[in-house]
Amino acid sequence: MMEALRQEAAKLLQEKRAALVIGFADRPGRPALFVSKPEDCGALVYDAACRQNLAAYLGKPEIRARLPVALVAPPAVLRSIVVLTAESQAAAGQVLALAVDRDAFLGTFDASRAGELLRAKYPDLAPEPALLERVRELSRMSASERAAFWQEQFAKCTRCYACRAACPGCYCNRCIVEKNAPQWVSTAALGHGNYTWNVMRAFHQSGRCTLCGACEAACPQGLPLMTLNAALDREALEAFGSRAGYDPEAKPMIGSWNTDDDHSYMR
Amino acid sequence: MKTEISDAAAPASAAFEPQITAFVCNWCTYAGADLAGTSRLQYAPNMRIIKLPCTGRIDPLFVLKAFENGADAVLVSGCHPGDCHYTSGNYHARRRWTMFRKLLALTGIGEDRLFFSWVSAAEGQKFADLVNDVTAKVRKAGPFRATNPGRRA
Amino acid sequence: MKTIDNGGLADLAQTLAGAGYRVAAPIDDGGVVRLRQWLTGSRIALDAVPVNSIKDFLFPRSEAVARFALGEKDFTSLPVEPAAPKTAVLGARPCDAAALAALDAVFNWDYRDGTFNARRAATTVVSLACARADEHCFCTSVGGKPDGTAGADAILRSAEGGQRFVFEALTDKGRALEAAAGNQLAEGAAQADAPAQLKKRFDPEAVGRWLAANFDSPFWKEESLACLGCGACAYACPVCHCFDLQDESDKKECRRLRNWDSCGFGQFTLHASGHNPRPDQAARWRQRVMHKFSIYPQKFKTLACTGCGRCSRLCQAGMALAQTCERIEALGR
Repeated sequence: MMEALRQEAAKLLQEKRAALVIGFADRPGRPALFVSKPEDCGALVYDAACRQNLAAYLGKPEIRARLPVALVAPPAVLRSIVVLTAESQAAAGQVLALAVDRDAFLGTFDASRAGELLRAKYPDLAPEPALLERVRELSRMSASERAAFWQEQFAKCTRCYACRAACPGCYCNRCIVEKNAPQWVSTAALGHGNYTWNVMRAFHQSGRCTLCGACEAACPQGLPLMTLNAALDREALEAFGSRAGYDPEAKPMIGSWNTDDDHSYMR
Repeated sequence: MKTEISDAAAPASAAFEPQITAFVCNWCTYAGADLAGTSRLQYAPNMRIIKLPCTGRIDPLFVLKAFENGADAVLVSGCHPGDCHYTSGNYHARRRWTMFRKLLALTGIGEDRLFFSWVSAAEGQKFADLVNDVTAKVRKAGPFRATNPGRRA
Repeated sequence: MKTIDNGGLADLAQTLAGAGYRVAAPIDDGGVVRLRQWLTGSRIALDAVPVNSIKDFLFPRSEAVARFALGEKDFTSLPVEPAAPKTAVLGARPCDAAALAALDAVFNWDYRDGTFNARRAATTVVSLACARADEHCFCTSVGGKPDGTAGADAILRSAEGGQRFVFEALTDKGRALEAAAGNQLAEGAAQADAPAQLKKRFDPEAVGRWLAANFDSPFWKEESLACLGCGACAYACPVCHCFDLQDESDKKECRRLRNWDSCGFGQFTLHASGHNPRPDQAARWRQRVMHKFSIYPQKFKTLACTGCGRCSRLCQAGMALAQTCERIEALGR
């Protein structure tokens, strides 16, 4: 599989269909690898230890200056590329996916064909059973138990924003926490600010999160961030039939509406 | 946006009086509240109303800010679907609230603390009844500060 | 010489707590090893470097440095008493202890930071010599050792393959802790295990020389490509100390908070005019490396890095200071 991946990456560079290939290096922790010469593609690897969502690099001006870019992309990252295309963050043909799935290399896909591949081969991507169990466990708690649980978790948050940096969906030039006229979100790593930060970040990903898990993997404190993201993913599906990253032409879930959207909880 | 109310004002022995923050739209709910006033309808005084042009303008962050500043509950209220002064602001808001209330419920702010309603400009009675009902529910639920995960210490 | 069984550390913590110490130790916190307050029942975990450092106890992530009560037309200043309880850090890494000298230097430079100093004076550090190192450790490259005693008030060295520890007090604070420990520390001798063997990976002097002469090198552009500009490395680092002041107020009170900040953030040096002297990640990564290996040593005669490896261990993108330094040294040759 890796040989096929490396050869295709080299081909893309040779044919100038990509100016830069982003993948993973064969070192502990699988650091991101940036390859611009075909002969250097031999250093690319992919395995279960690769946890970064490389689409997060599309938020860096340095990377945008080197389009077109090809990224090593398992299904969740394919979805991220589709989401970014739907949100006008990636122009047609400027971002290519070197699609991988565990030990299979599936070929090169642009956003449009990535959408087709996802709909054909992975139509029902959902949180893993263990993650769904975490959501269920939370749901079984009372409101005050949930509050206590998250207070304990969020107390560990240092506001390093590794979660934001890891997420391809977080590409704002100035994040809400960095706006100080007025300062809407407390920047202190104290209870109220940590609650607001983590809850609002999860909210801003609703209908956009592709369940890549990079945020949770990046968190130095081990916060169970995916519990919230997985729950919102299921809610988006149940309430609005929405699945993030399956159609590069789809309207954003939270930015659109239907006259018959549920409002049974409104008095 | 300072919606926090000093709890030094209430004597220690007094029964709990909820502090509720309401975010309402100018064209429907605020007018409905006004009608309740001019109709001399009696309703509980615990709600502090913040007027916005449209529920579509309400960033969920405002709701968190109210809780941070000590609100025991928050009410969001606007025009009925189809009646929005800006055509679709309340449709946008509705979609947001479905996700947001789920998120808040999962993190300990449940439907006994966060309320949503549609109140039109003609529904003065509905507004008064709503305020009384919500206030009674929150009084029963008790002060939120001890278990509110988002409250500023 | 005093010794203690591996299983006796919890009892030692309990005894020290009883003697008035707030005890901090590396604790298994749901799979993550964190240096935090030991409470009865906490599981002490000594086989991994904790995700955080002693810094948390001396210079917390967020604390109020000023408070004002707001009146109708004026305000009154309220006292801010930094909580500086008597603290014992049990099982700190030698690299963390070594970092204290660098923190002491900057917090007592042009301004003597009373909050930091109060906590520092109240803290007794009991290091644990490292019998093993992982691929991220590089203390020997920056003047440290796996069994180094710099900054420590006492040191525990494993013996008999880790079944026991040898305890050695090094300072007055260490001796006071030893006395408070009472019979938790038994008289007796044991042969300390060999400390971890860690090959030097680079020469920091050579790195410093290259840094001073290559500010405009194109090296930084490629070297920083993977960095996504979060604060994980700076926050985990036992030496990093940059902070941001934020005022928060409600109707009754205004608090000035001092919060950690990171030079990796895009807006760290953003001016109100809109100009940013470090406008890209290359400039910010260069700053990080230069601060630690060139600027700080010039000023304080000590490196701003003790090779604990947390930055690369925790970096989601695989950035690694030691690797950057190795590459710099190779360039310099």
